Amino acid sequence: MLEVQQLTKRFQRKAALDNVSLSLRTGEIFGLLGPNGAGKTTLIRVINRIVEPDSGHVRFKGDLLQQKHLLSIGYLPEERGLYRNMTVEAHALFLGMLRGMTKNDARQALQYWLERFDIQDWRKKRIDELSKGMAQKVQFICAVLHEPELLILDEPFSGFDPVNVELIKQELIEMKAKGKTILISTHNMKSVEEICDRVALIHQSKKIMEGSVTALQESAKTGEYAVKFRGSMIAFVNALWTGFELIDKEILGDDRFVARVKMRGDNNFEDLLRTLIGQVKIEAAWEVLPSMQELFIEAVSEKQTGTTEA
Amino acid sequence: MRNSWIIAQRELWERIGSRSFLVMALIGPLLVLSMTYLLFVLGGNEQQQWKVLIADPKEIMDNKIMSNKDRAVEYSFIAKYVEIEEFANDPQYKSFDALIEVNEKVLTNKVGFVFYREKPSMNMSINLRYHVERRLEEILAEEFTDLSQADFRKIKQPLTLNFHNVYDPTDSASDLGGWVGLFFGAVIFVFIFLFGMTILRSVSREKSNRIVELLVSTVHPRTLMLGKIIGIGLAAFLQFLLWLTVIAIGLYFMRETIFVDLYDASNITAANASQDYNEFVELVFSRIQYTNMLLYFFLFFTVGYLFYGAFFAALGAVTGSESDGQQFLLPLIALLLFALYAGYYALNNPDSSLTTFYHYFPFTSPVVVMVKLATGYGEGQGYTLYISLIILLLSAFVVLAIAGRLYKNGLLQFGHAVRLRQIIQWLKMK
Repeated sequence: MLEVQQLTKRFQRKAALDNVSLSLRTGEIFGLLGPNGAGKTTLIRVINRIVEPDSGHVRFKGDLLQQKHLLSIGYLPEERGLYRNMTVEAHALFLGMLRGMTKNDARQALQYWLERFDIQDWRKKRIDELSKGMAQKVQFICAVLHEPELLILDEPFSGFDPVNVELIKQELIEMKAKGKTILISTHNMKSVEEICDRVALIHQSKKIMEGSVTALQESAKTGEYAVKFRGSMIAFVNALWTGFELIDKEILGDDRFVARVKMRGDNNFEDLLRTLIGQVKIEAAWEVLPSMQELFIEAVSEKQTGTTEA
Repeated sequence: MRNSWIIAQRELWERIGSRSFLVMALIGPLLVLSMTYLLFVLGGNEQQQWKVLIADPKEIMDNKIMSNKDRAVEYSFIAKYVEIEEFANDPQYKSFDALIEVNEKVLTNKVGFVFYREKPSMNMSINLRYHVERRLEEILAEEFTDLSQADFRKIKQPLTLNFHNVYDPTDSASDLGGWVGLFFGAVIFVFIFLFGMTILRSVSREKSNRIVELLVSTVHPRTLMLGKIIGIGLAAFLQFLLWLTVIAIGLYFMRETIFVDLYDASNITAANASQDYNEFVELVFSRIQYTNMLLYFFLFFTVGYLFYGAFFAALGAVTGSESDGQQFLLPLIALLLFALYAGYYALNNPDSSLTTFYHYFPFTSPVVVMVKLATGYGEGQGYTLYISLIILLLSAFVVLAIAGRLYKNGLLQFGHAVRLRQIIQWLKMK
């Protein structure tokens, strides 16, 4: 669907993108991660043809990206604004028409989304009468109104309450099911784990990681397991004896714990369960995969250490 | 172009829907009408008593001319040429305030000359022209046609009386007509300034509320800029039409009610008419060639607005915040004021080479052309107006192209202080 090939962009002498390549497949949700100032927004602006790259290309469905392709792209910028004195309807029609829709189509699409979010009475409201969260919703509607094939969302969950975050997530999952491709730039790692199929991590203008969420987590796992149990912590530790190592514990109540354990020697998960059965009452046990948050922090700090050392 | 039009429409509706648009549409024309009324009233009050010598070597006027009831002007005739220096210095002419030269060509070229010692009041100028013109009409109607004087008046050409200071005959300061041109030029610049500032505010507001990023992800920044300039320009155009309508209705109302006597046909055609004319009233109601003036007004207003509008748009795009950029706004306002000064200069020095320069210089041409139009281009000089228009148009395209580049590169820069070095960098960027 979208190929980003060796993009480089410098602002004055500072590199904002350094030879960045990415590939988005049709019908996936792709997460673009990176600390502040990493170059994510510049990359998104290049894809939206707001900024011209110094070198490299962007291909949309195999063709070099051109102005006409923007009609197939929906964009929700991070720093978003609306004309405060316009009504929701006027706004949606204006942006819809700029994206190639007829007035009638835009009106129908707006009707669909207002009904879907159950906010029909907002139609004639002026933007300055809306709360920040309400305005965010209008902005989301404006971004998806023309049913873009590729939807680019820069920090789409910021400013939303948890209920609306969930609502937007469900919308995105539904759009993905309809074959739409979605690129999300976000710091919300929980959402990334929940909805993203693949991610890329950009740091200091370079791409330092790319892959599916599961594969990245698998590749970074350290052989840790977690056991949620009811019973005595002493009995639990005694049972581990020399075959396993207790890494960490979390106290859930008087006699309820979650313990994180690492294997020693040739012991495996089944051996651990066998050892514990009868000593404590196991409620749940699972392999611990690093969270995207941990992967993110680790990758960024590694890179920083590397840079410092270099 | 479709997107430019969509953006233009949004801008237009936003302006029309704003309260300031309606307030301006009412207050502006009412202000103009009040000023016009005051000039109408005051223009007729100035009283001067003049003794005028008419040099009529061919005795065309046959020593006859109708004079005022109130003897505001007392005419004497002399059947020979009087040299200007002689009139200025010879004691025998010292008692005369002005010399009117009626040479044999006056019947064909309709041009007479008035040499005055002290500048005549508006009222006196119109009295002189009126008296001489009426007398010449009688002669022309009698000698060359079988028409009645009233019928002849319908087809006659107006007499041009050129006023010169007898002590400085080369001073060709223009008459009131030129002020009308300057007024039209000033209106162009007032509109350019007001709506240029609207462009600037609109661009910097879009920057500060960040909607601009969404817009430029859909349309090219140049399309956005053009749409904005066109939309706000249409609002300006509409505003001007409203002014024109209200002023036209107001003037019609004044003519039909307050100044009705001046336009009573019987007053004009009566042989002994000695109506004390107010030149300004006549100027406004019968001497301004509105069709011509308005046609060129709209042309120069449109192109001049595009030219200056691009500067305002570029300035809006390079500023970091709504309050920023004052230091660059100042030179722009200075340029607008300079253009008005150039118009005033052209009014007083219509034939100087600097006026010719201002006439072609795109920053000043809209107002100077209006002045020249009102005072009249010399024989065969009319084409220079089109050269001026073409220069302005080409300059507008160049400025729009440069502004487009600044617009594109400066639009997504926020929160900085504008520096000239930065602007130059943006100009060099792709």
